[in-house]
Amino acid sequence: MKRNRHIPLRFVISLLLLTAAACNSKLDVKPGQHITPDEIRTAADVKAVLFGAYKSMQDFNAFGERYILIPDLLGSAGQVSFVGTFTEYRDIFNKAQVAQSLIAQGIWQRSYVTINGANVVLSKLDLLDAAEKDAVEGEARFVRALTYYELVNLFGQPYSAGNIGVNEAVPLVLEPTTVYDPEKDNKPRATVDAVYKQIVSDLTAAAATLPASYSDNNGRATKYAAQALLSKVYMAQARYTEAATAATEVISEGGFSLAATFDKAFNNVSGSTEDIFAMLQTDQSNGGSANSGLTTMYAAYNATPMAGRGDVRVDTNLYKIYGEHDDRRAFIYEGTGIAGGIGEYSRKWKDFYRAIPVIRLADIYLIRAEANARAGATIGGKTPLEDVNTVRVRAHAAALATVTAEQVVEERFRELAFEGDWLWTRKRLKMNIGTRSYNDPKMVLPVPQRERDVNELLSQNPGYDN
Amino acid sequence: MGMLLCMLQLGYAQQRTVMGRVTDATDGAVLPGVTVKVKGTTAGAFTNADGAFVVSVPSSAQTLVFTFLGYTDQEVDIAGRQEINVRLSAGNKILSEVMVVGYGTQAKRDLTGAIAKVSSGEIENFPAPSFESAIQGKAAGVVIESGSGKVGQGLKVRIRGTSSISASSQPLYVIDGLPVQTASVSDVNNEITNPVADINPNDIASIEVLKDAAAAAIYGARAANGVVLITTRKGKAGQKTVISLDLNSSWGKPTKKRGFLNAKQYVDLVEEAAVNDGRIDFANGYNGFGTEQEAIDVYKAYYESAILDRYAIGTDWRNQEVNTNWEDAIYRSVARGNQLNLSASDGNEKTRFFASGFYNAQDAIVINNKFTRYGGRLNLEHSATDKLSIGLNLSIARSQLDRVTQDNNYSTPGQLVAQLPISPVIDPATGKLNKRTLYANSLLDAALNSDKQTTFRSLGNAYANYNFLPWLSFRTEFGADVLSFYQERFIGKDATDGGGVGFGESASAQNVSFNTNNYFTVSPLLGAQHKLSAVIGMSYLQNDAKEVIAQGREYPSDAIKNLTGATSITFAGSVNNRYDFISYFLRANYSFNDRYLAGLSVRTDGSSRFGPDKRYGTFPAASLGWILSEEGFLKGSSVLNFLKLRASYGLTGNAEIGEYEYLSLYGISNYPSLPGFVPTQLGNPDLHWEKTAQADVGIEFGILANRLSGEVDYYNKRTTDLLLNVNIPSSTGFDVITRNLGKLRNQGLELTLNSVNIDGAFRWTTSFNIAFNKNRITDLRGQIIESGQQRAVEGEAIGVFYLPKYLGVDPATGDAQYMDKDGKPTSNYAQAVRTVVGNANPDYTGGFANNFSYKGVDLSAFFTFVQGNEIYNRAGAYQSSGFSGGFDNQTTEVLRRWQKPGDITDVPRISISYPTGQRASSRWIYDGSYIRLKMLTVGYTLPKQVLSVLKINSGRLYLSGYNLWTKTDYISDPEVNTTPLGSSSETDRNVAGGTDFYTIPQARTFVVGLNVKF
Repeated sequence: MKRNRHIPLRFVISLLLLTAAACNSKLDVKPGQHITPDEIRTAADVKAVLFGAYKSMQDFNAFGERYILIPDLLGSAGQVSFVGTFTEYRDIFNKAQVAQSLIAQGIWQRSYVTINGANVVLSKLDLLDAAEKDAVEGEARFVRALTYYELVNLFGQPYSAGNIGVNEAVPLVLEPTTVYDPEKDNKPRATVDAVYKQIVSDLTAAAATLPASYSDNNGRATKYAAQALLSKVYMAQARYTEAATAATEVISEGGFSLAATFDKAFNNVSGSTEDIFAMLQTDQSNGGSANSGLTTMYAAYNATPMAGRGDVRVDTNLYKIYGEHDDRRAFIYEGTGIAGGIGEYSRKWKDFYRAIPVIRLADIYLIRAEANARAGATIGGKTPLEDVNTVRVRAHAAALATVTAEQVVEERFRELAFEGDWLWTRKRLKMNIGTRSYNDPKMVLPVPQRERDVNELLSQNPGYDN
Repeated sequence: MGMLLCMLQLGYAQQRTVMGRVTDATDGAVLPGVTVKVKGTTAGAFTNADGAFVVSVPSSAQTLVFTFLGYTDQEVDIAGRQEINVRLSAGNKILSEVMVVGYGTQAKRDLTGAIAKVSSGEIENFPAPSFESAIQGKAAGVVIESGSGKVGQGLKVRIRGTSSISASSQPLYVIDGLPVQTASVSDVNNEITNPVADINPNDIASIEVLKDAAAAAIYGARAANGVVLITTRKGKAGQKTVISLDLNSSWGKPTKKRGFLNAKQYVDLVEEAAVNDGRIDFANGYNGFGTEQEAIDVYKAYYESAILDRYAIGTDWRNQEVNTNWEDAIYRSVARGNQLNLSASDGNEKTRFFASGFYNAQDAIVINNKFTRYGGRLNLEHSATDKLSIGLNLSIARSQLDRVTQDNNYSTPGQLVAQLPISPVIDPATGKLNKRTLYANSLLDAALNSDKQTTFRSLGNAYANYNFLPWLSFRTEFGADVLSFYQERFIGKDATDGGGVGFGESASAQNVSFNTNNYFTVSPLLGAQHKLSAVIGMSYLQNDAKEVIAQGREYPSDAIKNLTGATSITFAGSVNNRYDFISYFLRANYSFNDRYLAGLSVRTDGSSRFGPDKRYGTFPAASLGWILSEEGFLKGSSVLNFLKLRASYGLTGNAEIGEYEYLSLYGISNYPSLPGFVPTQLGNPDLHWEKTAQADVGIEFGILANRLSGEVDYYNKRTTDLLLNVNIPSSTGFDVITRNLGKLRNQGLELTLNSVNIDGAFRWTTSFNIAFNKNRITDLRGQIIESGQQRAVEGEAIGVFYLPKYLGVDPATGDAQYMDKDGKPTSNYAQAVRTVVGNANPDYTGGFANNFSYKGVDLSAFFTFVQGNEIYNRAGAYQSSGFSGGFDNQTTEVLRRWQKPGDITDVPRISISYPTGQRASSRWIYDGSYIRLKMLTVGYTLPKQVLSVLKINSGRLYLSGYNLWTKTDYISDPEVNTTPLGSSSETDRNVAGGTDFYTIPQARTFVVGLNVKF
């Protein structure tokens, strides 16, 4: 009897030990909706990381809103005004942004997510077949160059301000981050010159290897996207001959054409015939529809079919820059804002989930016109007047008889209003921004305080040290 | 084991055995730790956790003596008897209480750890969905903060302070041995909700809060924030079936309305702004006006047309044709609540049960917010043989929460106060709700939107207990916590966030925790002087969270509210997460001569939340106790009846971070037709447990025939290897990594006093508790951890307000002034420096209760108090800034504004075009201290004559009032916490606190109730 009594006890103890051993392996739990870096094993995986970088550029902290809206609000001297209650935007509009600006921080952070994605791709090219390796490399370089171009504009003094070897822009990160190593990863800001050199080098390489088009997608970077961006970069550097040459290549070989009417250049489901590079959006993949996104901010609260916040209003004075029958004048409408009041809004960003033109052909015509005018050339076989009138006629504006470089610039302001161009154009030409000088410290965003808190190598832009 | 067994058996070979069980004479509860002695000898034993004892007695023995502190001694004749069941009568119960301690029970007298107990009477019938609201102020060192007066919201619960920065600081909840899920599963865009609300408070028999390391370390890696043990009611043997019915009904209103300007005051201030702004414009020559009067006239005309005419929508604002009190529109005319509880319990030697059914419907004071819960419970225990008992605790509940949007949204009712008093509620032009208000009119949202979440919650725990030997038993428990959640949200086309197309969301989650505990309880017979009991075992927990969520837009009309009505699905996804804990634990408690106590516990935990090399952590604790009152020099003292000193030191851990944080991860991205991966997380394979070492010393005492008893504890909790979301340069492509970095400390003093002031027919008892906690971050290595206006700063308490310091108004200009870097006032906000200007943590918290009874009438008054915390009113920028933040209606605070040069005031000039003073600064910080009459109850127990006529066993009628009186300097209800409970980040919940942003105040509630037992 006594012996039997301990059988259940032994049984229980061995059962427990068995259970414990079985449970131990249960601690290896794989993530349910993420992958780990070792799961990037194939060419398709590397391309997926590249496509992830596109998604990152579509974020509201990038082209989904802020790359475009913030320069327009910051540079606004009577073009747009922020009438919503978000104090961060209001500060930018009032040129009252501080080093703690969450907008500056958001743009900075998102840009480097994009750059890191591109850098991961560039570090894993070995997984690709020779056939597509160069093209993928070009695409990643384009993404990186485009993002650095936005960063250098927003956080550094313009190229035109000179001192490019001294003026600081943003840290130049060209390797992917796999572990955090303060020695390696806390980088100082690179100079404006260094960032521009990297952009030009990436774009030149990309233009050489990218395909002319994709059979199945019009959202990806092509050879002409790289050329078009190069022409913009050359303009910023006042390298007019090169700018006109790059622009010509896009115009004559890219196969793009101006949309039949001005309104057809915007609010398109998958881009227009004049989009050289555009961010695509759908109702499932977009820059935001409640508190963020270009359309959210720009579309009136009573807009149909879907309401925006109506937080960014167009100044009525803007009517005055257009001629009476100019279609671009009619591109302004009246509406209400969620924070109250009635005002004018731009139709460019009226419909939700539509493609956001990043570089469109009209811009490139105007670049060639201006570059030719400044260089006294007719690169591409067209006079500045012909190129400007190409753009004007499409908008049903009266054709001009003569044109100067300054008039081309005015045409830019008319054509590219609300597309985040105004500030950069004025800066590169050293034109005043309202009452401020083109190199006014407040026309440059602060290096986010958060970044300086974690990386003491980062200097602050003038005017933000408090 | 076998050896030990043999030795023990040899020692007692010549004797006979007597066994039995000791229970409380009044309520039948088992009494562990009762001394059983053979009269005239030193031989004897103690009862075990089930109240059972086995004692070997010499064949000559005649009598056994049962002694237990707080109970009357009892002598029992044992001649010719082998089984003896004894019922002891209580003398004073305070010290004889049985405490649930995790994998067992212990007599309070023998405890060497710090445990606070709240019994059922204090949590029953409270007019809030979740029991935590009822224990606020009742247990020293347990601080419970509501987010707002909305119902079903998450609560911030802190035991002895916040001990983490980026990991959760909420305690672990264990119900009848089963660790339960407490994380909100609700919509991440709204405030968090509280899954603990699925538990019916009236099913709870007691709540024990394990506070120090000695008490909590048995829960090892999950215990650093304290452990809340919830024990549900059980059936008792040897009684008739008790059927109990509880009914109550409540009526609630807000404790406080803030008070906004009426139409006349509003119009006057707008006119004043025009004068001020005209003067400023003229003085600075902004618009080149010829005279000051011209400037004023232009501003006046502009403000009248842009504000007054526009928002009066045709009504005569000059004569106050409309004078809307929008604040009133936030609230229901009365918030109703109804509770019904019906329970039955009974049992015999073989089988005991407790069964209940419950229904609870509680309106919030704010419109459209309501909580409803119904369900049932069955707790069953069966003694199959004298060795084997089996049982089941099973509860099922359905709860439904009807919600409004979070405090940050225009669409939330709380923001209605921003609307202008000159705006009518109904648009005279349409006869419908006014759509031409300053901000989108959230009454439209209230009318068109719906947001309902339904939770089915099953908690089941089956167990078997087998007594191998009188001193050795084994218990196995298998439990599951099944939380099935369904949420349906709809926003009408015309609502604020409806975008003109309508919006819908449907989310469904199935979160299942499976848990097993298996342990031996050993209580060897070592003679009367030595009492040893030990628990050794293991437990395994697996939690699977699965969720599906879909969102859509473009509804043909508001008639169909589910996703079928959405013709465009904009998002759909499913999520699976799992975590596992495997644990081994050991606890031993030893007492010598009934006066020297020692305790030891060790637990080793393994968790899936850490990398393969860092998975396991071991958490030991040791404690000592000395019952001085048993010593010769104190024994028999007529004044001092009980005195115990205790001290403990031990280690506990925290792993309450998300899953997979040690891994580098890529997430999925959905760029149109280009599915991809985006790097989302930079891993840290060295990530491991956050550790808290806690020292505690305590004194427990009872004096004057135990009429006054109490407990004092001092503790020092040092948390190291903080699981910290460390900011890294974003140029890496990542913002944060989780690292073990930093240290913080909570140091404090707790005092609890209970007294019987007057005993007899008229009885008056008092209980009082107060807890001081000082939190300090001792090391962050320069990290800056920020949440809104608050920060974790080295050398300061967690969550200090870090803002420019407001220095009042410049008497010359009426401009707001801030402190600049030289300590001088400046009106230029950009030159103001940010510094520590306030602290959201209280210096002390506590409660104070008085209970009176005379014959059938009882009266109790319970106060809670919080002292020394500060509240930041983030809405001040809009609602009290004199239009500097917008045209919003203003609080009456602005009536004491600066008006002319020389005025000395703290409220700057009124201005629309030249704002001043609205920005984040210490201007919006207020003292949040309060004392509040949390509850006042009058009850009447029906006399025996009435009972016999009604044929019931007992009956009580009561009337209660909650939050009837509050003393505070805060401008609204002081129990506010918008930010932490509106955020999905643990860092926010720890660092932020005490922020008000259009927060709904608490309810003042009257309850009428009835309890009948059949």
